[in-house]
Amino acid sequence: MKKMAVEFKGTKGGLTIYCLEGVGFSELLADLEQRLRQRAAFFGEAEVRVNVGGRELTEEQKERLVTVIRENSRLKPAGIVMQPDGSAALPPARRRGDFESLQLEGLKEGRSLVIKRTLRSGQGIHFPGHVVVLGDVNPGAEIIAEGDIFVFGTIRGIAHAGARGDRKASVVALRLSPTQLRIADVISRAPDENPPLPDQAEYAYIADDRILIAAITTKAAAASVRKEGV
Amino acid sequence: MGEAIVITSGKGGVGKTTAVANLGVGLALLANKVVLVDADIGLRNLDVVMGLENRIVYDLVDVVEGRCRSKQALIRDKRYDLLYLLPAAQTRDKSAVSPEQMKKLCEELKAEFDFVLVDCPAGIEQGFRNAIAGADRALIVTTPEVSAVRDADRIIGLLEAAGLSGARLIINRIRPDMVRRGDMMDIDDILEILAIDLIGIIPDDERIIVSTNRGEPVVAADNALSGQAFRNIVRRLLGEEVPFQDIYRQSSWFGRLKKIIGLGG
Repeated sequence: MKKMAVEFKGTKGGLTIYCLEGVGFSELLADLEQRLRQRAAFFGEAEVRVNVGGRELTEEQKERLVTVIRENSRLKPAGIVMQPDGSAALPPARRRGDFESLQLEGLKEGRSLVIKRTLRSGQGIHFPGHVVVLGDVNPGAEIIAEGDIFVFGTIRGIAHAGARGDRKASVVALRLSPTQLRIADVISRAPDENPPLPDQAEYAYIADDRILIAAITTKAAAASVRKEGV
Repeated sequence: MGEAIVITSGKGGVGKTTAVANLGVGLALLANKVVLVDADIGLRNLDVVMGLENRIVYDLVDVVEGRCRSKQALIRDKRYDLLYLLPAAQTRDKSAVSPEQMKKLCEELKAEFDFVLVDCPAGIEQGFRNAIAGADRALIVTTPEVSAVRDADRIIGLLEAAGLSGARLIINRIRPDMVRRGDMMDIDDILEILAIDLIGIIPDDERIIVSTNRGEPVVAADNALSGQAFRNIVRRLLGEEVPFQDIYRQSSWFGRLKKIIGLGG
C-alpha cells in the first residue's frame, strides 16, 4: 500500500490533520484530497486544524491546502499550525510504526455466527469461525469455535475457542464463570469450590501455555491487543 | 375450546404428578371443567395420587388404539364433579403412543374441557415428546437442587425447539430455613439460570406427603401453606395477578415472634 502522507486525529478540541515529515507538498495534497473524499461523510462539518510540522509553507501553499479541504469535504478549516522542530507533528500514540499497519493490527476477519438467545443445557454449537452469543451459556451447554468466542451474558457452561489449534483465540464474556474453558489445546476448569460471579466483563487468553483471565478495561484490552496481536 | 397444559420437569421425583393433581383440583374448585391426562405410560401413578386407581377400566392407549371412545376411558373424580382423569396404561410402554396421536387426543379433549393437564414422564425421550405434542403451554417443575435445575434448563431448551416458548416455572419444596442459612439454592439463583417467568413457589410441606398418600390433593385443605401456594398458581393460570407469598416470613416462627415483640422483621 502507498505510504501515507497525512493522518487524521480527532481530539476534544476538534479534528487535526497531521502532515507527516519527509513527504513532498504535492504528494501531500494528493493524499489529503483522496482521504478527505473517502471520509467526508464521516468527518461531517467539524472544525479542522492542519499541523504541517516543520514545513515552512508559502501563503500560496496554505491557500491550496485550505482549498483542497473545502473542495473535498464539509470540514471548516480553522488554522494551520507549524511546528519547526517537527517531532510533535505526529500524534503521540502513533509515533511508532506505519499508520496502515497499526490499523490492521488487532483486526481479525472471518466467518462469525451470531446466536441471539441463551444456550441451555444440552445445546451445543460447533462453528468453524467466531461465535457471538447474545444471551447466556448455561451449565451443560457448550460452544466450540475455531475462532474467538464472545458472550454478551454469562458463561456457565463450556467454551472452547481456537478449537483447531489457534492459540491466539480468546473467550470474552460479560460474566465469565465457565465449568471449563479451553483455548486451542489448553484446558482449564473452574475451581472446585464455587467462586463468586465476577462483577465485570473478562476475557481469557493463553499466555505461557496457561489460560489466563483478565478483566476487560479499555486500557487492558488495548494493551493485550498490542501485546498478543490478537 | 379449552387449553392443554403440559407439566414437565426433566428430572424425576420433583413433584410433577403432585402438581398436576393439585392444579387439577384447584381449577375444578373454581368451576373449570378439567381433565388430567397421565402420559407416563408404563409408570402410571396419577390415578393413585388422585385415589382413583380402582375405577380404571380403559386407559389412554385403549383410546388412541381405538378400543374405546375417549369418554369411556375418562374417570370422573369422586369428590369434584368437574374433574376427570384419563389414566395411563400400565402394561404398555411409551412407544405405544405417537406424538401425532397425542396431539389428536388433546384436540379432542380440548373441545370438551376447559383445561387439559398433561402429566409428563421424566426424561427427554419419546414419553416426553408425546406429552408435549398436544400442549399449548408448559409448566416446568423444579426443586432447589442443581441437578433438577440443570434438567429444567434442558427441558426449556427442548420446549423452545419444539415451538413451545413462554413456559412458566414452579419451584417446589423450598425450605426457607435452609435458604436463609445458605444451604439451599435461592429462588433468585434458580431464576437467574433458567430465565423464565415464575408461576409459583411451593414450600416443602409434610402435609403434601400425607395428602398424596391418602389420594386427597392438598390444594383443597384450607390451612396448608402448600395448598395455598397451589391455589395461587391456579389463580395465576386463570390470568389473575397474585402476589407471591412471602414464604421466608410465614414459615419463620422466630421471625414472627420477633415482630410481635417489636424487634423488627
